[in-house]
This record gives sequence, structure tokens and C-alpha cells, in this order.
Amino acid sequence: MTRSGRFAVLLAAALAVAFVFLALPMVAIFVDTSPGALLDSLGSGESLDALRLSLECSALALAVIVIVGTPAAYLLATRSFRGRAFVVTVLELPLVLPPAVAGIALLAALGPKGILGSALADTGVELVLTTAGVVVALTFVASPFYLRQAQAAFAAVDPTLLAAARTLGAGEARAFGRVAIPLARGGLAAGAALAWGRALGEFGATLMFAGSLRGVTQTAPLAIYDRFATDFPAALALSAVLLAVSAAVLLAVRLAAGTEALGRART
Amino acid sequence: MLALEARHALRGFALDVALDVAPGRCLALAGPSGAGKTTVLRIAAGLLRPGAGRVSCGGEVWLDTARGRDLPPERRRVGVVFQDYALFPHLSARDNVVFGVAGQPRAERRRRAQDALERLGVGGLAGARPADLSGGERQRVALARALAREPRALLLDEPLAALDARNRSRAGHELERVLSAAGVPVLLVTHDFGEAAALADEVAVLDRGRVIQRGVPDHIAAAPASAFVADLVGATVLTGTARAGANGLTTVALDGGGEAVSTDIAEGRVAVSLYPWEVVLEPPGTPPAGSARNRLEARVASMTRLGNRVRVGLTGGQPLTAELTAASADDLGLAPGDQVVATWKGTATRVVPLD
Amino acid sequence: MRVRVAAAALVSALALAGCGGSGTPDLKVSAAASLKSPLTAYAKAFTTAHVQLSFGGSDVLAAQIRQGARFDVYAAANAALPEALHTQRLVERPVPFARNRLVLAVPAGSSARGLRDLERPGRRLAVGSATVPIGTYTGQVLARLDPSERALVLGNVRSREPDVTGIVGKLAQGAVDGGFVYVTDVNATRGALRAIELPAAVQPTVVYEAAVVRDGDHGRQARAFIDGLLHGRGAAQLRAAGFGPPPA
Repeated sequence: MTRSGRFAVLLAAALAVAFVFLALPMVAIFVDTSPGALLDSLGSGESLDALRLSLECSALALAVIVIVGTPAAYLLATRSFRGRAFVVTVLELPLVLPPAVAGIALLAALGPKGILGSALADTGVELVLTTAGVVVALTFVASPFYLRQAQAAFAAVDPTLLAAARTLGAGEARAFGRVAIPLARGGLAAGAALAWGRALGEFGATLMFAGSLRGVTQTAPLAIYDRFATDFPAALALSAVLLAVSAAVLLAVRLAAGTEALGRART
Repeated sequence: MLALEARHALRGFALDVALDVAPGRCLALAGPSGAGKTTVLRIAAGLLRPGAGRVSCGGEVWLDTARGRDLPPERRRVGVVFQDYALFPHLSARDNVVFGVAGQPRAERRRRAQDALERLGVGGLAGARPADLSGGERQRVALARALAREPRALLLDEPLAALDARNRSRAGHELERVLSAAGVPVLLVTHDFGEAAALADEVAVLDRGRVIQRGVPDHIAAAPASAFVADLVGATVLTGTARAGANGLTTVALDGGGEAVSTDIAEGRVAVSLYPWEVVLEPPGTPPAGSARNRLEARVASMTRLGNRVRVGLTGGQPLTAELTAASADDLGLAPGDQVVATWKGTATRVVPLD
Repeated sequence: MRVRVAAAALVSALALAGCGGSGTPDLKVSAAASLKSPLTAYAKAFTTAHVQLSFGGSDVLAAQIRQGARFDVYAAANAALPEALHTQRLVERPVPFARNRLVLAVPAGSSARGLRDLERPGRRLAVGSATVPIGTYTGQVLARLDPSERALVLGNVRSREPDVTGIVGKLAQGAVDGGFVYVTDVNATRGALRAIELPAAVQPTVVYEAAVVRDGDHGRQARAFIDGLLHGRGAAQLRAAGFGPPPA
């Protein structure tokens, strides 16, 4: 075999290994679940509560992340300012933070004994052990996923196009909304998909900061863990459902970005 | 009237220019890349704030650093055509043009956009995306987009550079027509003197941030103020030492050997410039005849066919370029490596002090 | 040539990593979360093996063993879980090794004196989940209350934690006003929490049992470890932490 032929085989082998390694556990979930258990799981009130909570909280978290994160990422991508590198590092930190540490950090900041604890108590806002707290925890761990992608997507927009928009009478805001966002659409969607997926699967920080109570804070991952000890088939079934929902979320966001984003990836 | 003066620190040198363009006139800023031409354009457009400067157009002050006035680009009625046209890829040609048209109900804006496209001959492409258009079509859409705004001034960055050679001259004629008809001051920047000469009424040559010569293109070509300008204009530039010679002529001892005479008066270190098409090639050993007083022995280093012409690169004491008809080159049986004699007239020899 | 050297280095590194102190076997022990401090101290003093401890809810640990996790010793906060594993022939006969007591824990600065104080509206409680021992014990306590009191308590439950660590953590952070934990957990916080004793009538029987996991490689050391919980260094540590001796 020629050297280039050998290299091609190596590339294919690496991809095959990665694919099998990642696909196998997910396939196993579906293989090990019986359709009966799956339906039971879907029918059970607890599972439905957990799924509903997961979807609602992750959607809310995503909304916050996108609304606040998009302009923030745009600023990071298009301007340099003193301390920019430091800001970027801090914004990316939750990525490498173990979820438990994230939970502790949130408690230290927003818990009753935390930095903002008394201020929050004065305004009557309760975050710990509440559904709002779940949203806070999900937002915290999932934000960097969106911010990084969005920043890269905006940075990839040709600055000359933004300059052209300005010379055509568009203020900064209009250039942002009518040129930058449409052109960055693909990257923004990819970031949103990642962030949503991360939020759906969040466990440690949620448990620490918001606790686990059915219908209030017990999201699907927490429900799965709760079930794992005594009812493994039920845990498996709920896992299968969560996996399917996550896949659907990923697909939906990609499609929302438009086939143009997919097409660009193909070339 | 577009008036601009600016001082701004650039890499390695300082930009210091003052220029003005009357309505309906076109000024080309010509110079090599890095000379600061695009910076001037960006200052005029409001995309860059210079260290110090003033820009005014049609009586309205756009920039005055002394008074702290700096209108952002969207508040200046300026039309800009960027080097790669900067058409929005996610919008159709018509929507690109609509983007810059202000106010009015949407239907009215679309109509004006369509008109602008038709005036530039691309009305039929209104629904197409930029990716589906040719370079020439994109250039016209970009022009339509800039003009549809009814700008107070028009700025163009290397307007023909992105076109391939075949379309460049036809596009240049059309562009020149559009620019004259626009009725506003036009400032364009280019590294190609030929482009400047074709499109503009006047040319200002920019070198390392300063305008070293300004005038109508023919005049600059005929009397370049320095070796730099001569080189930009496309002349062959030789260096040497000049002294007063016989008959009121200047004799230049060329570096690397040989002599040339010129009707220009100069002394000391000089640059000698002549145009390739003024150089006649003769086979070696031909006795001098005719009125050309300058003769140099040289060897043919390269030959490039350009249609019915041939550019001959020569090496004597210094490199030299001659342009011949292809027929003559064939008749002489010229080939790389041949020894020839290059001759040209003293009256065609420009001499300028060497900076 | 360079590839050969790299390969040799890789192999030696793996061999060294695999050895981990040749001679001393590794003993994998899974234990209830409430055993954390006494067992950690005991493990350090255990010389015949290098003990690796995993703490968690006893129910989750049992599930892991059922799924094939290769522990050598399983120490649970109740008898039911080890007995169930024994019935499934996954562990040898379990051995009771300690007793414990349920208390109502409150933050040290709290003014609460009894369960009544935490039944008031707006008070927040944390309890164990339904399947973890601390949760089932708490369920037994609540079952022995009269229905109206039970309803008030349940109404104030704001989180069902997978193990005691979560309850203790929430109490320490002030996230909840009270929680049902073991008295040994309150001891371990060294004053951050205060224990409110429960009336003897509602106190459940809390017995910890441990078992050697079958098909392990280090049965001898496993038995020795459990033995130490009954008679040796382990017992001393359990006593010091506040655990009672096993029933006779």
C-alpha cells in the first residue's frame, strides 16, 4: 500500500474508533430497554414531571443565554479592549469547572450565606431549592458553550461587510442585527444547540444548588439517578427518552439555522 | 466640494495629506500598497479617526478633531465601493441596494433600488445572490448600491483591481462614464497608474503618507517629479551622476556603465526615466544613424508577448525595458541571450534629482 | 529508532502504573456516605491492603454492585440492602457492625428547639430520597407522627437528596432550616450543626451491615477489613465518631 493509502486507512480507523466509542453506550440504552418499560416510563407521572421540568428549565436558560450572550459575544468578537483576554478566560471557566464545583460556587455567590445572599433575601428573591434556581444553575454551566461558538461566528464575519453597512447608513445596532447576526447564523445555532444539550444533561450543579424535589427541581437527569438505585429498567427507559429528546433538540436547532448553514459545512 | 486634511501615524511613517475634489470631478490617489491610500479613504468615510484632521463635504463638516466633531459613517452621506465590493452574501442584489436607501415605504425603496440597478445595466439580475454574479456584475451592483443613496461624495477602493484583465478596460470605460455622470466629488485610490489615468481627471501620487505630485495624468507621465513617480507611472528608471555637457545638454554617467544625454537640466545624483516604447533596438555593430543620441549596449534577458507587442527585458549596466511591435521583434530575430544596442532620444529622457 | 524508545518508555510506564506498590493489594471498599470520616481514618491505618474508598448513597452503591462493579467490601447504612444482595448471591453473609441514631439537625445558630418549630409555614427541610437508607428511616419517623404533623413536615420538604452529604451541605449553607440526618453526621461537622433529639417513640432501628463481595480477588483482606470494623482500629474510629456498637 502506498504511504498515502496507508494514511487514509489510519484516518478512517481513527474515525471508526471514535464513532463506535461514542455510539455504543447510546445504542446500548435503546437495546437494553424494552418497549414496554419505555412506555411505562413515559406514562409515569414522575417521568413526565421530570421531562417537563427539564425542557422548561433548559429552554428558559437557553433564552437567557441567547438574549444576553449574543450581544456580549459580538462585543468580544469585534472590539479589543483592555483586559479582554481576562474577560474571555473568566467567561470560559465554567467549561472546565466540575459541575459540583459549579454548584458550590453558585451557593457561595447566591446562597443564603453567599455574597449576594442577604441582598437577594431583602428583595424577596429565592433561588436556592427553587425552579428558578434550576434555571440559574443551567444558565451558569451552559453559557460558555454558546459564548465561545457565538464569538467565533461573529469573528468570522468579514469586518468589511460591517464597514459597508455603516457606510450605507446603518448604525452599529442595525449592522449588528441586519448583517452580523444573519451571517453568523450557523455558528450561533451550533452554539445554541450545544448549550441546550448541556443544560438538558446538567446534574451536579443542579443537585447542589437547587436540590431534588419532584415537579419543582427534579430534572430528568436527577430523576434518572434517583431511579438508578432501585429500578434500573426505569432509569434506562427514562435515559432513552432523554437521549431521544436531546437528539431532537440538536436536530431542531440545526434545522432552524437553515440549510444554508449545513450547505456551508458541506463545501 | 470634498475637502480632506489629515495627519495620522501609520506603521513606520506618518500620513500627512491635504486634498480637495470639486463636485463632478474625480481625483485618483495613486501609490504602492502601504502608502496610506486606503487609510485616506477610511478617514473620508468615517471608518477611521485620524490623529488630527478635518473632513468636510458640501459645506457640512464631517470631521474636525480640533473641535471634537466626528460624524459616524452612517451620518455622513457617503457612498463607498470597497475593493472586493463587500456585497452582503445573504441578500439579493436588489436587497443589497435597498439596504442603503433610507426612509420611505418599502415599495418605494425597492423601486429606487431597481432603478439604480437598471441605470448600471444589471436590472435583470435584481433577484440574484452575489455568489451567482460575475466580478463585473458585482462591481456594478456595488456601484448601484453606493449611488442609490444619493451620496454627497463617492469613494472607491481599487475599483478595477478585482476584475480580470479581459474585462478591465471595458469596465473602466463604463465606470468613467458613471463617475462623470454622478455629479458628486469622487475620490478613488489605486496602485495602478493606468487605472488612475483612465478614470480620473487628476491624479495625486502618494508615497509613504505624503502627496509628492498632483496633476493631470498626462502631465505627471510626461514630467514625473521623482524616481518614485516615474516608476509608478511605468517608466524605466536608471540612476547615475549628471553634469553639464556639450550643447546645453546634461550628460549622465550611468551607474554600471554607459552614458545618456538629456534636454533636462540637472546636476549630481539623478534618476533618468524613459518609457519602454521610446526605446529602439538595433543589432550590435550597426553604425549610429538617425537623431537618437543615446546608445547603450545590452543583452536580451526576457521577452513577453502582449498581443501585437513584445516587452523586451534588457540587462546593460542596469535593467532596461523596451517595447516593440511583435513584427519587429520577429524581423530582428530577437531571442533571450542576444546582444543588442538600445537607443533613444535625448528629448525623451527625463532627469530628476535622486531622493 | 525513536519509535522503539518511545514504545519501551510507554510499556515501562504502564507496568509501573499497574504495580502501584508491588505486594500490597488494592482493596476497593464502597461505603455509605455517613461512614466517611471514620472509614477514611480506619483505611489509613489498615496495613494489609491499600484501601480505595467510594462513598455514596447505600442504594446507589448496591445498584452498582448489581451492575457488576468490582468492589471487595460493601458497607451499608441499613440491613435490608446487604441482605438483598446476599439473597441475589452477590455478597457473602452480611455482618452488623454499628448502630446509629436519627436526629433532626439545624444550623448551629438556629433558634429551633424541636420538630414543631420546623413545621411552621415557610420553613424549609431537606430529607433523603425514598430509596436511600436515611430517607427510608426518615419515612419511618414520619409514619410514627400523627397525620396532621406528618403533613406539615412533608409540606416543608424542599429537597430529597441522594445521600446525607447533600442534606448536611444544604444545612451548612443555610439553604434549608432543618434536615433529618444521623447524629454522627452532626458530630462530623464539629459544631456547624446542632442535633435535636427525636422522641424515643419515633426513633427507628438503625443498624449498619457490611459484607464481602463475592468473586473478589482479595477475600482474605476483605474479611480482615470487616473484622477490624468489629474489633480493631475500625471499631475504635466508629466509636469516636459516635456510632454505637452493633446489637449483640
